[in-house]
Amino acid sequence: MADSGAPKPSSSVKLVLLGEAAVGKSSLVLRFVNNDFQENKEPTIGAAFLTQKCNLPTRTIKFEIWDTAGQERFASLAPMYYRNAQAALVVYDLTKPTSLIKAKHWVAELQRQASPGIVIALVGNKLDLTNDSAGGDGEGAGGGDGEDARKVTTEEAKSYAEEEGLLFFETSAKTGYNVTEVFTAIANAIPETSLKTARGPGASSAAARTEEQRVNLNGPRDPNAKEGCAC
Amino acid sequence: MLNLSSFVQKAQQLLDPNQGLNITDSDRNPSKASLFQAQFRLPASQHPLYEITAELTIPLANATQGDRDRERGYQYAGKLHLSESYLCFSTTPSSFVQSASTPTSSVFTGQTHGGGPSGNGFTFPLSSIRRVERLHSQNFQFALAISTWNGISQEAAKDKDRKDLREQRITIQLASSRQACERFCDGLKKGLRTNVGNVTKLKKVMSECYSEYLLRPEEQKSATPPDAGLGLLFRYPGDPKKLRDRAKMRLWAEYLRDNGRNATLIRQPTFHKLIRVGLPNRLRGEIWELTSGSLYLRLENPTLYADTLAKHSGMESLAIDEIEKDLNRSLPEYPGFQSEEGIGRLRRVLTAYSWVNADVGYCQAMNIVVAALLIYMSEAQAFFLLSALCDRLVPGYYSTTMYGTLLDQKVFESLVEKTMPILWEHLVKSDVQLSVVSLPWFLSLYINSMPLVFAFRVLDVFFVEGPKVLFQVGLAILRINGEELLDATDDGAFISVLKSYFSRLDESAHPKSENPKLRAVTRFQELMVVAFKEFAGITHNSITELRLKNKDAVLNNIESFAKRTAIRNLGPDSKLLNADELAALYDRFYGVLYERQQRDHIIKQEQARRAKNNRSRAAVEAHDDHSIEKGRVGLGPSTSLMDYDAFREFLAGMSKWAISDAPSTPRRETLGDRQSGFYSSFRRSDAALSPWGAGPEPANHEFLQRLFRKWDVGSASALTLQNVVSGMARIKGKRDIMGTINYFFELHDDDGDGKVDREGILRMSEALLFLSRRGLEGTLSPPSSSLALSTDNVNGGSEAPGQSVNERFLGSVSAFIRRCFEYADPDHPQNQNAIQDVQERLDAQKLEDIADEELADPDAFAIGDDDDDDDLLTMESPAESPKTAAIRPDKRFNEPPELELNSSSAGARADGDDMSTRRRVSKAQSEKANAALDPSNPLHITLPTFRMVVLADELLEQFFESSFPTSFHIIEGLGSSATPTSASSLTTFSSLGIGAGRAVNAALGGTAVTPAGGRGLRGVLDNIVTDGMRVAAEVRRRMEEAQRELEKNALPGQRNDDEDDEDEDDVGIGRPSGAGKPGGVYSGDAERRSVRSSDRDLLTGADAEASDANAAAAGRASGSLEVGSGGSGGNGGNEPGKGAGKVVGVEFDG
Repeated sequence: MADSGAPKPSSSVKLVLLGEAAVGKSSLVLRFVNNDFQENKEPTIGAAFLTQKCNLPTRTIKFEIWDTAGQERFASLAPMYYRNAQAALVVYDLTKPTSLIKAKHWVAELQRQASPGIVIALVGNKLDLTNDSAGGDGEGAGGGDGEDARKVTTEEAKSYAEEEGLLFFETSAKTGYNVTEVFTAIANAIPETSLKTARGPGASSAAARTEEQRVNLNGPRDPNAKEGCAC
Repeated sequence: MLNLSSFVQKAQQLLDPNQGLNITDSDRNPSKASLFQAQFRLPASQHPLYEITAELTIPLANATQGDRDRERGYQYAGKLHLSESYLCFSTTPSSFVQSASTPTSSVFTGQTHGGGPSGNGFTFPLSSIRRVERLHSQNFQFALAISTWNGISQEAAKDKDRKDLREQRITIQLASSRQACERFCDGLKKGLRTNVGNVTKLKKVMSECYSEYLLRPEEQKSATPPDAGLGLLFRYPGDPKKLRDRAKMRLWAEYLRDNGRNATLIRQPTFHKLIRVGLPNRLRGEIWELTSGSLYLRLENPTLYADTLAKHSGMESLAIDEIEKDLNRSLPEYPGFQSEEGIGRLRRVLTAYSWVNADVGYCQAMNIVVAALLIYMSEAQAFFLLSALCDRLVPGYYSTTMYGTLLDQKVFESLVEKTMPILWEHLVKSDVQLSVVSLPWFLSLYINSMPLVFAFRVLDVFFVEGPKVLFQVGLAILRINGEELLDATDDGAFISVLKSYFSRLDESAHPKSENPKLRAVTRFQELMVVAFKEFAGITHNSITELRLKNKDAVLNNIESFAKRTAIRNLGPDSKLLNADELAALYDRFYGVLYERQQRDHIIKQEQARRAKNNRSRAAVEAHDDHSIEKGRVGLGPSTSLMDYDAFREFLAGMSKWAISDAPSTPRRETLGDRQSGFYSSFRRSDAALSPWGAGPEPANHEFLQRLFRKWDVGSASALTLQNVVSGMARIKGKRDIMGTINYFFELHDDDGDGKVDREGILRMSEALLFLSRRGLEGTLSPPSSSLALSTDNVNGGSEAPGQSVNERFLGSVSAFIRRCFEYADPDHPQNQNAIQDVQERLDAQKLEDIADEELADPDAFAIGDDDDDDDLLTMESPAESPKTAAIRPDKRFNEPPELELNSSSAGARADGDDMSTRRRVSKAQSEKANAALDPSNPLHITLPTFRMVVLADELLEQFFESSFPTSFHIIEGLGSSATPTSASSLTTFSSLGIGAGRAVNAALGGTAVTPAGGRGLRGVLDNIVTDGMRVAAEVRRRMEEAQRELEKNALPGQRNDDEDDEDEDDVGIGRPSGAGKPGGVYSGDAERRSVRSSDRDLLTGADAEASDANAAAAGRASGSLEVGSGGSGGNGGNEPGKGAGKVVGVEFDG
């Protein structure tokens, strides 16, 4: 697009993480950004801001990640952070059914209040605490011996996600299982036309953007799904 | 009294335009007391009692430094203030007396030149004053010498050491009239006397201050020093050499020695300078405590912290869960918080605070702030400082909605816009939201944004000068980084610029400068200079103004978010209501709670003010309110529960019937605009002092209590929004008649066994009358009778169709009672031995009747052919021997329905011979039916019976189908147009002083008739309504009476007496009617008997009405019957309309 200098077009995507407190939002981001995991992360005050690039074959996506505080009372600050977000990660804890309810509330909030066309991914975290952490080759993968802490079935969350048209993943920030996949899938799901260039023009182009989006929605949306994220 | 106080308030508005804008003692219109407390950082228990202009003289001389020139010394002109337990002197010329205008009271909010709100001077607890002497002076000056308990904790020291301790002695010259001086001194004397008892408390608190240890003579320093925070154990952050901690400590020691320490410290300019350069580690906690005023909180209740922990030890709470999650993530880089010691302290302080301030509980960021405090102060000190923060310094920051945080972000943004327009424009253009960057600065008081050493420097100033410091520093950060920020075009770049700035705060601000002095200036120093020099114009005043300006918008934002969330989170019941209804319910729910809370507050204040005026000290002290505004959703839901009174008010806002009949009901004018601005509408002060505010007084009927209990699912004596929505969904949601009928039945089925007893039946009918007394709403098919009536009465003019509907409804209710009793099931099967033939006859008749009815619900037919039927028969059994003395008491119970029936009989007779023959036939049966009223025969109706009875009547059916559900005007509320009936149409009620049952009983006392006072048909209607109510109550009263008699003396001989009594009653009741008075419902004995026998006819008639065939005729008949009850006696002709017309005539004549 406008950024002609780079061989691959680079664009930034504003992504917001929402979900109940202590479901592992910050840990997911930390895993994605630094490939790291900390047991005691400082709680997020307001929101933490991080960036990470995601290389797709045809373009580079620079995620601007707003990692929000999960405590209930910070919810009223959330609109400040999901404003203009093009993607959202709504996280729940596989071992805590209430966190899925909260996640559903967030999805409803986003669908009604966030920018139209926002890509939402529903993510069940802490797969390492369940018995079926198949992909996690780490400590959590012990099949039958450990106690299964899973309280939210894959089917339940998945059918909900399908109903609402959300991307759906189960992850473990601790083992790293499925974490980059989430972000890659989001990167792929963002309609190319809704991307602003890295040094995007400001509000003036916002209208144009939506215009383009409308026009191009029927075009080849994500022909290159399933492509890795080099990060 | 109310008038007087509102007059006073009006007068005050005239005097001070700021008053009355908001009647609450909020930040919008702070009281003198709260301004006083804010200026001197005193607890809410303190009020400005006396003040006087004075000059403070602090002698230079002290024992340690030898005798210097005593004449000189420091002199300050200012004001001396006296509160309940404090004597304060301030160079800030603010005044808090009643006559002072708001600007002079809040003068400190302007420029304080680094001195903080209380300027130079002192804030002595009266308990710290040792002696006050009146100085004899030459020129009639009124001077006091005050010596203090400075160094009190060393009181025990030997005399030898005492001489090291310089006695703190200051002189104050009072500059006012002798009289004023005397008055002030009297107050001071009184205060000193009452505070003598607090000296030990003071001593204990002071002994925990590090300054006491610091100033101790060397040889006594062996004792363990007071707790000066985790820093003593784990080192203080930063390099003490770089911080020049020792030098600072020496300076402070000198200052404290000369000017008193902790509670007896005198603020002089040096004090503020010393603070600006950064506090020494070990004194930091104490000075924070002193400047923030949390010391005075601790002084007030020194054991609160320990007590709170002890009281709640072992208890669980949501806040504790949240706290636990964050303990390991609070300043984890500081070694103290990698240890159990530090974690334990943090846990205890946060937990204790969450108990004492449950409204706030625990908010993330508090952990960081408290962790920082704990490095420099003891647990108890941190606990009280946290209170001071949450209540005064950063109010609302940590509340459940965090409105304070959001508000200050708005304020900050507007300050940036004003002071740095170019940067602001850039931010807007590149769509960067400033608050995503600045919010954590404010929320964590810069603690997790800047390196700790610098954040503490900011805090040093912040505690003296207040929240404006946060803004000044924030603006300075942006100003210093302005160039780079102008290059940043998105959130990410913006954040990284600032991040790197914060990480280089200790570097030289001018690394390339030739001037070594300039090179030595660090970026942080530069920041402080810019903040306090360049942004000196940012005062407490400007912050306050901006806060006020933005407050409503911020709260509205939060509220719309909270509303959205709350409505979305309502359970499945909410799906039965549409979005508008839910939104309106939400608004009404919180609107009522808010208004009530505000009113409550005002009333309390008013009481306090009166108490104060009466010089009742005790009451003044009891008035211990926080000046924090409460109740709005946006401020944190301090209430989200609705008690019964609030529930009544809530209903009165949307249902006519829920408004009381009290005569002087003011109109709810605000209702119309409440939709748009719930909160803003509540600014008018005049109506606010009524317990119901501007709205009408809500009714208090048993039905409301039932509804409340029914909705109160958790039996918590309070309703949540969820309860209200679920409750409302059951009434309005389904829109099906069976649902509503079932609901109404359940409402009266106290034990939930599917049966409603006699008492319950009467309650139901009372409820029906209660609900209909302002007329029915919804779609009512106007029966031809009423059409006929209205056309017939066009000339009469005064009758509207609606009235006749209401009249008919009364008939329906009376029929309802009767039928309920008739079809009720007995509770006791032993009554089964009844005489069969009578039963059969009754049965047959009933079946016939039922067959006549068009019943929508097949269940209702069950009564004819299942067990119910048998029960029905048995119920009749005792009544089937009407001539035996045994059932004489029954007659008493017969009367009430008779009264109803009586009225109908008047018209019924008009229906001609064929009616009267039927009447005769059914006479016996009806008597049996009425035996159901015998309290010795407990009975009940079941839901199917209830349904049948309801559906047997067109009006009742319509009532449940439409009028009842539509009588809840959730969305539109009761506009002023909807309520005009309230005052006029129900005057009869009010003149009776009604709550239904009560008034009815009263009416029954003697003359059972209420003169209608010639108010035309409306009066007639009122009478009818009253009569209906009376009927129900009389039935009950008599039942109770008879029950009592039955219980007392079951002797046969007694029954004759009863009979006699009854005859007397009959005569008495009959009299008014005989005299032809209007409203003479009760006709003579004979007539009554015939009426009683006409029971059945009426039933048949009504049944026929329900069926479409005879609807018109029967309806007309019943219509006229009811009108007849108005008092015409048997004059009604064949034309019901004519009958009605005559009634009118009678009314006017009477």
